[in-house]
Amino acid sequence: MSAMTLTLRATPSGRIDMSGVLPETLGGRTAGDIAAQIVRVDGNPVALGDLFAVTPGEAGAALRIDAGSSRLDCLGKGMTSGTLHVEGSAGHYAGQNLRGGELIIAGDAGDCAANGMRGGLLRIAGNAGNWLGAALIGDRAGMGGGVVAVAGDAGDRLGDRMRRGLILVRGKAGAACGARLLAGTLVVAGGCAGAPGPGLRRGSLILGRAPDIMPATYNDAGVADLSWLGLLRRHADAILPGVVSDSSRVHRHMGDLAFGGKGEILAPA
Amino acid sequence: MIRNGVSIDDTYAEAFGMRATRIIITADSLAWAKHSANAAFGFATSVIACGCEAGIERELAPEETPDGRPGVAGLLFAVSSKELAKQLERRVGQCVLTCPTTAVFAGCEGEEQLPLGKNLRYFGDGWQMSKLIGGRRYWRIPVMDGEFLAEESTGLLRSVGGGNFLVLARSRAQALAACEAAAAAIAGVPGAIAPFPGGVVRSGSKIGSKYKALPASTNDAFCPTLRGVARSELGADVEAVLEIVIDAVSDADMRVAMKAGLDAVCAIGAAGGIVRLSAGNYGGKLGQFHYRLREILA
Repeated sequence: MSAMTLTLRATPSGRIDMSGVLPETLGGRTAGDIAAQIVRVDGNPVALGDLFAVTPGEAGAALRIDAGSSRLDCLGKGMTSGTLHVEGSAGHYAGQNLRGGELIIAGDAGDCAANGMRGGLLRIAGNAGNWLGAALIGDRAGMGGGVVAVAGDAGDRLGDRMRRGLILVRGKAGAACGARLLAGTLVVAGGCAGAPGPGLRRGSLILGRAPDIMPATYNDAGVADLSWLGLLRRHADAILPGVVSDSSRVHRHMGDLAFGGKGEILAPA
Repeated sequence: MIRNGVSIDDTYAEAFGMRATRIIITADSLAWAKHSANAAFGFATSVIACGCEAGIERELAPEETPDGRPGVAGLLFAVSSKELAKQLERRVGQCVLTCPTTAVFAGCEGEEQLPLGKNLRYFGDGWQMSKLIGGRRYWRIPVMDGEFLAEESTGLLRSVGGGNFLVLARSRAQALAACEAAAAAIAGVPGAIAPFPGGVVRSGSKIGSKYKALPASTNDAFCPTLRGVARSELGADVEAVLEIVIDAVSDADMRVAMKAGLDAVCAIGAAGGIVRLSAGNYGGKLGQFHYRLREILA
């Protein structure tokens, strides 16, 4: 089954909104038809064919975007099925409202990736920007399902107001990691900057390195052997191996006590 | 039909449609998983008075279990989904939740689901936490050794219960030795259990009794001590009869288990004191599944 391919003709001068450029919407269509699809560059309508060379593919095949760019926003937005490969970096809002399928970004992702994501898998081989899996301003909750796997680092406010799902980060996270987390599981193998989990209500923030500062609103619950971490490790290893520690023995801090105290930060024992 | 000197009666075992589920119990060691399973699947020989029939299906290596710890898979059978749900919750609540280091997981998929940790989570008194991993929901319930982990639900299976055969031998010791071999063979069949102690039954029953309160009573036709006073099925050369009862998750598994058990007895043969093989039925009007011994051994 041959993949559809969009090859970027030149580095764009403005920001391209890639909404609607999905394997499920382009599959099975002719090259001319795909090239005529309208996308927005800095808010202005432009034919997709003016920006990309189009190689059509079969219905149900993967969509490949060659030579990605940090100016390509909203990649995979609202995707429900199929696979979208981005051979390079992505701009902001990658995987926004992702419902299913797999979005693979070979480079870095900009800010606000996985906003409103409800299902599927988002892989980022490089680094992710700020607000990964977080709520957009005005939204009550952030990511609500699915899995995000980041092989590099993540920026500030990782998982802010995240509601459900799993985020795996092999590297480090920036400031306010897990802020206002409502539920779900956030794993950061490389630890995070500053004090983690401000305003965390429920859910689990699992850090591969103990934080420099544990907020005063977290109470030390001691060391425990938590068998669910074995389940999580098996699941995570199939997506991003080695992110969850082999040991289920962790140091548990419960909090944020200013917000109910039903959440937890787990650090190495 | 005669196999290795053993006469095979031209009869059939009559079995019934039942509801079943499989659960997986894990622990820090296989010994603790078995402590829990032995309690959870204990007192579960017959639905007549135990509410369900249950047993350990097999031991599981760490790589076979969801959490990577040693464990056991067990099967529970009941006459209705409601009764099965009741028995499952009681047994897991009293025998798995209570047992150090254990966790419990669904062992099968089903179109319908039975609550596993769904209601037990309330033991956490508000401190319980839910985790959705790989599309499956688990409950983390704080207990004194850490946390009890229970999957929210397990699958409901439409299964078969009450497959059986009778081993007629020249002595009790010979009947028992043959049944031990049969039980061992059945234990190696996935999807089947022999729920009675050691997999063997000595108190085969018939429906009804001279006492109105009793739904079942001793199978006098196969009681050697009643020869001469009751209508007997036993010849002069039979001194003891033992029965193997089997529950299985499917008709196909039941046939495999029946054949494994019958073959094991036939392998011992007349030289081992086995005279006949027979089976229990109720005239064919009660059970949906009939297992003809000669067909299975053919």
